[in-house]
Amino acid sequence: MVKIYIIDNGGQWTHREWRTLREIGVETKIIPNTASFDEIVKEDVDGLVLSGGAPRVGLESKLGNCAEYLKKAGFPVLGICAGHQFMAQFFGGEARPSKIPEFGKIELTLLKENDVLFKGVPKRSIVWESHNDEVTKLPEGFELLAESENCKIQAMKHKNRPFYGLQFHPEVEHTEFGEHIFRNFVKFCTKK
Amino acid sequence: MFDADKFIEKTIPKLQEEIKGKALIAFSGGVDSTVCTALVNKAIDERLVAVHVDTGYMRKDESKNVKKMMEKMGLNFRFIDASKEYYKALKGVEDPEKKRKIIGEKFIRVFEKAAEKENVKYLVQGTIAPDWIESGDSLRDTIKSHHNVGGLPKHMKLKLVEPLRDLYKDEVRKVARKLRLPVSERQPFPGPGLAIRIIGEATPERTKIVREACDIVEKEIENAVEKGLMEKPWQYFAVLLPVKSVGVHGDKRVYGNVISVRAVQSVDAMTCAYSKIPHEVIDRISTRITNTLKEEINRVVYDITNKPPSTVEWE
Repeated sequence: MVKIYIIDNGGQWTHREWRTLREIGVETKIIPNTASFDEIVKEDVDGLVLSGGAPRVGLESKLGNCAEYLKKAGFPVLGICAGHQFMAQFFGGEARPSKIPEFGKIELTLLKENDVLFKGVPKRSIVWESHNDEVTKLPEGFELLAESENCKIQAMKHKNRPFYGLQFHPEVEHTEFGEHIFRNFVKFCTKK
Repeated sequence: MFDADKFIEKTIPKLQEEIKGKALIAFSGGVDSTVCTALVNKAIDERLVAVHVDTGYMRKDESKNVKKMMEKMGLNFRFIDASKEYYKALKGVEDPEKKRKIIGEKFIRVFEKAAEKENVKYLVQGTIAPDWIESGDSLRDTIKSHHNVGGLPKHMKLKLVEPLRDLYKDEVRKVARKLRLPVSERQPFPGPGLAIRIIGEATPERTKIVREACDIVEKEIENAVEKGLMEKPWQYFAVLLPVKSVGVHGDKRVYGNVISVRAVQSVDAMTCAYSKIPHEVIDRISTRITNTLKEEINRVVYDITNKPPSTVEWE
């Protein structure tokens, strides 16, 4: 069984991520973001999800021990919302308060179809958002995968390491292809 | 996939191990507390005492119906009318978080009193995932203090037992269907009841208004669903706003309150989209509310916000 743990950055939907993974049949657990990398590696995980959370990555620069995970992880990591913003910042990009924040329903446009994470997702689909900050500068070594009308960096991936970042929330029921994206991530973790 | 059979199978022995002696359950008659009651009842049988508290903020005929249900389920139950106490405690209170906390604390005090009489040490609650997620903790912001989590007083004599903590409503419904409970499809109703559907002070008079309006919304929507005019919303109700507006009744000026109708689609309450109610249905709701409550209400609006950015209830 694939084992993917969720790092809890204090999001309203952290437990939803756990539920989605559990539904897919993944072995999963919610871990506080104060856990050390060694504690996580000891459990032999196949992948990590960095949840969203109330901390304003655009205003603060720390998110628990997420920096350590991103520095050391050789397995796939999926950053969501605050987790995504932190990932961008960690690799030299920028996260700032959004000019036009997005809450609730928006349309996502894929810039690159058939990427591993978005395989089978149509070019345009409905996703659910909830963010005050966003990634304003893509870090070097990353590829842009999706945008929306008011937020240009909705999805990104590291070119050499197995890391993905999403501004929107694939874990909530109202995101049209949310579970599908998670299934793709689980496959990605399985292949490794 | 969530497996209700497995959940039931695993939960009952866990409860038998956890609960030594008698336990009291907070029984509102909603899906969560009814499922909880059925499970604990299976686990410890007559050692369970179900307590229903009429807070005075219940929907029309609710407490009466709950009483009937408790009898039908063959429960060892107590029915406590604490409405006067609740009205007194909420007198002059306008802040939504204060309302929730006062109501949460009052529940516990009422249960403690009942527990003392019965010599009970455990309090079983039908807390589900969104309750503790939204109530906040050291990592999470408080969106609203659910009465059964964030509304709990710091010092409690009773030990909490919460077998549904990791479940969402749709999963609780699956368990309810497995247990053949008649409440499996009931819409959610918040613990603080109508008190949080009255923006501003929740006086007994204003409670009467919103109770009537909620009843009209429920009946009209259920009627429309039955006729196949619309999909059944996740939750549907009325909110009394502290706003007045000008109207005209039989050539005379009136100056009355505003009711907002709310109906949303959801699976787990963590995200919601407002329901696309057909105009003919919303039209009937509006006319019935303003005619039935003509002394108090002369304007009805429909809430068209999703969650996020809003939440389902207004407070």
